Amino acid sequence: MSGSLLLQSVILGVLLGGLYALLAAGLTLYFGIMRVVMIAHSAFLILAAYLAWWFNRETGLDPMLSLVVTVPVFFLAGFLMQRLLVSRLKPLTLTMMSVLLTFAIALIIEGALGFIFTGTQRRIQLPYAGDSLNVFGAQVPVVKLVAFVLAAFALLSLYLLLKYTRFGRALRATIQHPEAARLVGIDTDRTAGYGFGLGLATAAIGGTALSLDATIYPSLHWHWIGPLMAIIVVGGLGSIPGAAIAAMLLGISQSLLQLPLGATWAQTVFYVALFATLMFRPQGFFGGRLAQRF
Amino acid sequence: MDALHSTRRRVTAAFALAASAGLVLSACSGGPGDGASADDDPIVIGVSLPLTGDFSEPGKGVERGYEAWAQIVNEQGGLLGRQVELKILDDQSNADRVVSDYESLIAQDGVDLVFGPFSTRLVVPSARVAQEYGMLFVEPAGAAAEVFEQGFENLFYAAPAVANDHYNYLADYLLSLPEGERPKTAAVASMDDPFAQGTAYGLRDKLEEGGVEILVDEVYPPNTTDFSVIAAKIAESKADVVIGGSQYQDGVNLIIALQQLDYQPKVAAFSTAPTNPEFASAIGNQTEGILSPTGWSETASYPSNVEFVEQYTEIFGNPPAEDEANAYTTGQVVAAAVEAVGCAEQGECQQQLIDWLHENTVETVVGPLSWDEAGRPSGAHLIQQWVDGEIKIVLPDDAKEADFLIPKPAW
Repeated sequence: MSGSLLLQSVILGVLLGGLYALLAAGLTLYFGIMRVVMIAHSAFLILAAYLAWWFNRETGLDPMLSLVVTVPVFFLAGFLMQRLLVSRLKPLTLTMMSVLLTFAIALIIEGALGFIFTGTQRRIQLPYAGDSLNVFGAQVPVVKLVAFVLAAFALLSLYLLLKYTRFGRALRATIQHPEAARLVGIDTDRTAGYGFGLGLATAAIGGTALSLDATIYPSLHWHWIGPLMAIIVVGGLGSIPGAAIAAMLLGISQSLLQLPLGATWAQTVFYVALFATLMFRPQGFFGGRLAQRF
Repeated sequence: MDALHSTRRRVTAAFALAASAGLVLSACSGGPGDGASADDDPIVIGVSLPLTGDFSEPGKGVERGYEAWAQIVNEQGGLLGRQVELKILDDQSNADRVVSDYESLIAQDGVDLVFGPFSTRLVVPSARVAQEYGMLFVEPAGAAAEVFEQGFENLFYAAPAVANDHYNYLADYLLSLPEGERPKTAAVASMDDPFAQGTAYGLRDKLEEGGVEILVDEVYPPNTTDFSVIAAKIAESKADVVIGGSQYQDGVNLIIALQQLDYQPKVAAFSTAPTNPEFASAIGNQTEGILSPTGWSETASYPSNVEFVEQYTEIFGNPPAEDEANAYTTGQVVAAAVEAVGCAEQGECQQQLIDWLHENTVETVVGPLSWDEAGRPSGAHLIQQWVDGEIKIVLPDDAKEADFLIPKPAW
């Protein structure tokens, strides 16, 4: 195995890890806020990808422009979903029942996509789809770079939002100690709703980034939810930086392991990491106690 | 949903028809075993197809092909002077369902004939049911080697070639090139799927025997969506030939990943994906020179094919694709046997149909077909290549619509 192939694989792994990081960030947010296991996260991802594809097909404009509409719409959908559905679940069985509820939502989205757009596999045709930049002899695909930058930008915005704004502080307070948060005057119900909206907004951005360089079809979300769930457990449930770091590490590992092991075994890295985490450090490697650190 | 509903409606209609036919019969004939009234009954053909689930796209294609066949046959006066009627169940792409579907079609509904389902994974279990009941089993999809290694004597694959032979014309052509132009190295990536691997490994093994060195030989699971590292390995090898054992999305994603890494092979051959109508719009204008084997071509000049394309287009408003054509071929093969033997019912008749097909050649939309004792068709697939933005037959010479491009233009 040559050095250039290794460099190439690391670059591809970083680009893949960036996308994983954004997608996992949203997923870990729901759990942090409400202890909700959001199976439908990747279904919303594919929904956003379809909307980007549809937008591109109808208007011929760059699919990233669809974000202007999808991000607010997804935010609103997340807010309503939390207020109207998730918050109605009994607190005692919330985590378990949220699996069922969001599973149902995932199926509804998948069915609706199949009904409206058929099962035909779609791909956005971009003028720069096959282009790449040459960096030290390795090729950096332009679309993957664009998706990576989009993901990194969204992740950074999310981090700054949570860290430095009033709403971010309220949301973190809600995550850390809902009762205390209520005592100091935070409307935790509303804040949790916004938090859920924020999670879905990341799915809108992630889905659009995904649509740039993927062939999409309604049932594609099942391929994403497994690795994403593994990532947020490894990263520590509820921790956004933990999810981002774990995503990056596992993305790069998956790429590199493909060199000696081939594609079939390399994708088990997510589950090996999941089992190892549960055995040796159930709270996750980067998260500490549930979502307390940022 | 739509297909499910229409299937249900069709099934209901079939029941209603059968019930009313029964009424009429008992009213006028007054007893069973009346030869004349049996002749007016429609010939009922049982099929189970994956109309929902993983194989729903090709499953619906096969359904359209069968429907087109039935409609065209009925317009021409039916089989043996009787109308044909399809009874199609949905197996949800599930191998258990497909078994119980064929059981109930044959044993309870007493259908006169059966047609095969879609995909190797569903063909094998359903062929076993048909074998138990001694039914003729002609199938439109199930080209992998394992289909023919189960000892079935009733099975016939209604297409020109088994998976391993798809690329025969291409292998022969490449190995016949003069020393300087002949490719020396090849890279292979195939989905972990019996059909996809069958096609890719057929070409790989023939090239290897001819002295071509195989530099990369990768297998990926069907759920792979990221092909960048596989592409990196292939690009690194700089192989002259790239062979993709692909279905659809994997082929498209792999080709784009290879383009992104600026890998320029002399020959690029991918199964199935390049013949998909979505292919060109998925990868843009960079299709030039990509090769694919195909069992059927819209433009092939076999007399029944011209008729099929014309009438199908009239019925459905758009031209058929390969799945539709394979299903139609299945209908043609069974029809030829029925017309020749002169019967279509369960019992001894089925064995006569089977024997006839083993001994005879049938003219179909994919050309003349004949089979060995295990049901393998004896031909090879046409090789198509993207030339000037269209996919055209380039091999064999006597069927070609354009000249073979080698080396392929840069993509």
